[in-house]
Amino acid sequence: MLKSKTFVKKTRSGGVMKVVREHYLRDDIWCGSEVCTECKQESTVLQKDACMESSLCSYPHYLVPDTNVVLHQIDILEDPVICNVIILQTVLQEVRHRSAPVYKRLKDIIHEKEKRFYTFTNEHHRDTFIEREPGESANDRNDRAIRVAVKWYSQHLKTFESDTDGLKVVLLTNDQGNKQKAQDNGLLVYKCEEYVKSLIANPELVDRLALSSDDKNEITSSKVLFPEHLPLSRIQTGIKSSSFLQGTFRASRDNYLEATVFVQGEGEDGTEVLIQGLQNLNRAVHQDVVAVQLLPRSEWVAPSSVVLQDEGTAKDDEDAEEEEGKLRTAAAEAARKPTGKVVGIIKRNWRPFCGMLNVSQIKESTRHLFTPADRRIPRIRIETRQASTLSGQRIMVAIDGWPKDSRYPNGHFVRSLGGAGEKDTEEEVLLLEHDVPHQAFSQAVLSFLPKMPWAITPEDMMKREDLRPLTVCSVDPPGCTDIDDALHCRELENGNLEVGVHIADVSHFIRPGNALDKEAANRGTTVYLCGKRIDMVPELLSSNLCSLRSNVDRLAFSCIWEINHKAEILKTRFTKSVINSKASLTYAEAQMRIDDTNKNDDITKNLRGLNKLAKILKRQRIEKGALTLSSLEVRFHMDSETHDPIDLQTKELMETNSMVEEFMLLANISVAQKIYDEFSECALLRKHPAPPPSNYDILIKAAKSKEVEIHTDSAKALADSLDAAKVDGFPYFNTLLRILATRCMMQAVYFCSGMDSDFHHYGLASPIYTHFTSPIRRYADIIVHRLLAVAIGADTTYPDLMDKHKQSALCNNLNYRHKMSQYAQRASVAFHTQLFFKSRGILNEEGFVLFVRKNAIIVLIPKFGLEGTVFFDSKDKVSPNIVFEEEGPTLSVEQHKFHIFDKVKVTISLDDSNIQHQKIRMALIEPVIPGVSVPPPDTERPAKKQKLDR
Amino acid sequence: MFLPGLQDDLRVDGRGCEDYRHMEIETDVVSNTDGSAKVTLGHTAVLVGVKAEIGKPRPTVPAEGYLEFFVDCSANATPEFEGRGGEELGTKLSNTLYKVFNNKRSIDLKSLCICAGEHCWVLYVDVLLLQCDGNLYDAISVAIKAALFNTKIPKVHISSDEEGGKEIELSDDPYDCMRLNIENVPCIVTLCKVGHRHVVDATLQEKACSVASLIISVTHKGTITCMRKVGGGSLDPESIFEMTEAGKRVGKALHAPLMKLLEQEESLGKKRQKVGFLG
Repeated sequence: MLKSKTFVKKTRSGGVMKVVREHYLRDDIWCGSEVCTECKQESTVLQKDACMESSLCSYPHYLVPDTNVVLHQIDILEDPVICNVIILQTVLQEVRHRSAPVYKRLKDIIHEKEKRFYTFTNEHHRDTFIEREPGESANDRNDRAIRVAVKWYSQHLKTFESDTDGLKVVLLTNDQGNKQKAQDNGLLVYKCEEYVKSLIANPELVDRLALSSDDKNEITSSKVLFPEHLPLSRIQTGIKSSSFLQGTFRASRDNYLEATVFVQGEGEDGTEVLIQGLQNLNRAVHQDVVAVQLLPRSEWVAPSSVVLQDEGTAKDDEDAEEEEGKLRTAAAEAARKPTGKVVGIIKRNWRPFCGMLNVSQIKESTRHLFTPADRRIPRIRIETRQASTLSGQRIMVAIDGWPKDSRYPNGHFVRSLGGAGEKDTEEEVLLLEHDVPHQAFSQAVLSFLPKMPWAITPEDMMKREDLRPLTVCSVDPPGCTDIDDALHCRELENGNLEVGVHIADVSHFIRPGNALDKEAANRGTTVYLCGKRIDMVPELLSSNLCSLRSNVDRLAFSCIWEINHKAEILKTRFTKSVINSKASLTYAEAQMRIDDTNKNDDITKNLRGLNKLAKILKRQRIEKGALTLSSLEVRFHMDSETHDPIDLQTKELMETNSMVEEFMLLANISVAQKIYDEFSECALLRKHPAPPPSNYDILIKAAKSKEVEIHTDSAKALADSLDAAKVDGFPYFNTLLRILATRCMMQAVYFCSGMDSDFHHYGLASPIYTHFTSPIRRYADIIVHRLLAVAIGADTTYPDLMDKHKQSALCNNLNYRHKMSQYAQRASVAFHTQLFFKSRGILNEEGFVLFVRKNAIIVLIPKFGLEGTVFFDSKDKVSPNIVFEEEGPTLSVEQHKFHIFDKVKVTISLDDSNIQHQKIRMALIEPVIPGVSVPPPDTERPAKKQKLDR
Repeated sequence: MFLPGLQDDLRVDGRGCEDYRHMEIETDVVSNTDGSAKVTLGHTAVLVGVKAEIGKPRPTVPAEGYLEFFVDCSANATPEFEGRGGEELGTKLSNTLYKVFNNKRSIDLKSLCICAGEHCWVLYVDVLLLQCDGNLYDAISVAIKAALFNTKIPKVHISSDEEGGKEIELSDDPYDCMRLNIENVPCIVTLCKVGHRHVVDATLQEKACSVASLIISVTHKGTITCMRKVGGGSLDPESIFEMTEAGKRVGKALHAPLMKLLEQEESLGKKRQKVGFLG
């Protein structure tokens, strides 16, 4: 039977279009129930004895949730207790339309066999399809469609009632009107809340109930705290007429009353709008897409440098007002930034947040505040009866809504991750918080792995160059099992040198489009945490088949140059090959071989040749203006049994590090040039934009305070002035400057050559660059491998590879994953640093002032590569007389004036008063400021000290 | 050969001089238009679709919408239309239709205005000739009137923000739409001068014998809104007067049953069994 669906829609150009779709109704859609004898279905999903013990429904029953129940109570539906559920097509479509994440979760549940969720395509069933009636809104029609389907089901199942004990269908809805109408139709209907509460077996499920709109009022005072959000239509017209701006809301990490909204402008450039104060923030949560209205220029403010945390018990707005007052300090006209207020939310980007419960002081209370681990997320009010068990645990909470009369958003408990402070829990938290996919690889993904035992087949050999006789070796950090690069160097008969970079041929194993490829593309990068690695590809590939281990035959993608002794490239060629590495060395081992004049074997000669060339290459590169920046990286010595850190040192750089790096850069540049020549539209490249001049302000100011001039007109000028920057008696000054310079830089990003015109890599001073050398741990390299393989005719292409829009979308994901993995890495280091200091007690160390803030200084301890904040005002003490000067910047505390780069002495200890945010606390010892600094502690135990000085 | 009969008000197919052949009308036959109608008159069949689109009003009449006509002479109708054969006739027909229908006396063009000087509804009237068996004008005009009756234009609201920027908003209810007032829409009556008499609704044979014909558009009140002579022969003033009088009479008589029929069909609503093109 054919029906047509007609609707009118507005086109982008402002016209109105009538759209007609054909809609076929069928009579062969089965009900999916085990008891049914009428439907000719092959397999059934819904059980005969659908038992969910409920005090409301003592009979076996199937549940039919309506759209809002699915949208808001998906956490409940995910619980294993809930099964035998009918998901109507109407509901599925509406959910899909309204929330992509919930839709995905719902789909996942439906695919899970044990859950017994059945999708009934009621919209195509001849008896349950309904047409929209005149005067009926779309929502009303859908509600009616749901009721009609439920009615059909209950009648359909009634016909078999004789042989079962009254199987029934229960509609779950939170809509009072819908419930009433359903009751009038003689349907069994309950509110989701009533039903869940009636479940006998699982009382704790109640905690997971999202708060529905009608009980929100009880929680909060009736006082309206926030201005109303504008409806979407108003926002859209506002944005069109550019009276509002649309952007991503980014809460400040340091100050809960401040945020910026990043407005994407034409092309690359965007502007930032500052938002200050609770009212102006207007319930926006970090990462939401919001509409902002700019305030008149006279009300613009400068970002405050105050560090402000929302702490303590639930507070009322009076406190907030007081704190807001602190923000309003007269700022220089120049420092003022465009300031605005949030007028509406375009898209919420809420996800479940990790954090901990602040148990309410009232003993019987079931309402508690939840503090998320991410400081940019406001605290969330949740309702739970398990507060006593949950305190001290890391839990996940989802936000349900933020009514305008509530100081905090309302949410509900999702699940517990484990005890706070435990290593596994904390690792889980930081992976979740940084959105790092870390589940085990699925069966579907693993099925695309090569079968073991694996060997190179004769066909492979035919297509590849046999480079096994060459003396190839790899140089990596100690303990590295995913070796993706190896090198060789030999003298040719004509006196020139042949240098080869051999990269693991991952694209041979990961074929485009299969589950393994998709998973790798989604993960984007391998994430290295302290003592743990989250692989991008399954271990069989990363640590075995792709890893270029010594003395085994491995497939490789080789880049081979003919280079003369002045390090000029005469010839470049790329080939797929088979290699057999002769040695897997660590940086230190390689360095030792080079330095040991007694050794003269092939490998050592090889290394010396490479090292010599690398030095020339590096010099050439620096002459061209490449920057050598500095950031302190620390390495933990782990206890082999407990995996607790027992020592910590900053990473040492050796000549061999830069030797490997030099050739990797060379290979990357050569490959970038080749794939760009071959595919000018869809080459995946990496660029590093030059930072805007204003980024350097802090660097120039800081250097000036030590009477050093820094030029930032070009990378070359910057590199030269950094080299020249030296202060007598302050050897560490140069490193500090370089650390500061690093903070001024922009992020390097992947992009598709067809979508951009600026390819320059600022930091490396190279006109073109890409990533080719680490395909085991970066997905970008896999794509580059595929492009190069097509370019040299070694592999076939596929449509997505040549689609610049798809490439561009992929780049966005890779950039995001890359950024998140770096954050996760940093968070992991921070956590281990804390563990380390926990076992150390209180220490005294020397450090340098890295930044000066309004009420604090940030101190860097070079020995540990550790940064910490020394606050000068605290809540419980009378704050000292503090004067902050923007020009400088300097901070005067009582008599003492702090500049950037000042040497200070601090005590370091672990502050675990707040388990969630355990932090390294620093307090000033020197210079001595009465009332501010603390006396040097004498708690140090000599034994420990010795160990550190080693 | 039929001249003698005509003197006695009797035509070859048994009709009187002012009688139409059997006429069938069905509206709402093409679902992706905003209004449509199919009319068969003897073996002549035409299909008319009306599409409403938002456009810019003409600068001379900023507060009015307008109609556009296009006549497609498909080669299905008659082999003569093959290739570009129907083009000339198509242009001629659409020009006439434009004259007859696109004026404010026929249709309330003001009601098509959305926002003076900026937006108005433009009704694209597409006529498709399915089969030609004479008297195209009359069949087309009846079909257009029926299609306009059937036309449902989605309701729009103009919302303006503080800065005076205007935005068109659509109602999300597909039933919320505007109907046209077609009371004054005229019908065309073609009178063919055959011998000394004139006939209404001439068949192809009669047409072949006629020297000239007069196209008259008549409203339901019997007012003539437009008149045009086609054909090579000449008409003397006296017969022109006679023919206009006859046209008025016939036209007036045509409107009443047509409106009755359309309203009857409309009242059936969704329950109506559609005939379509295969019935």
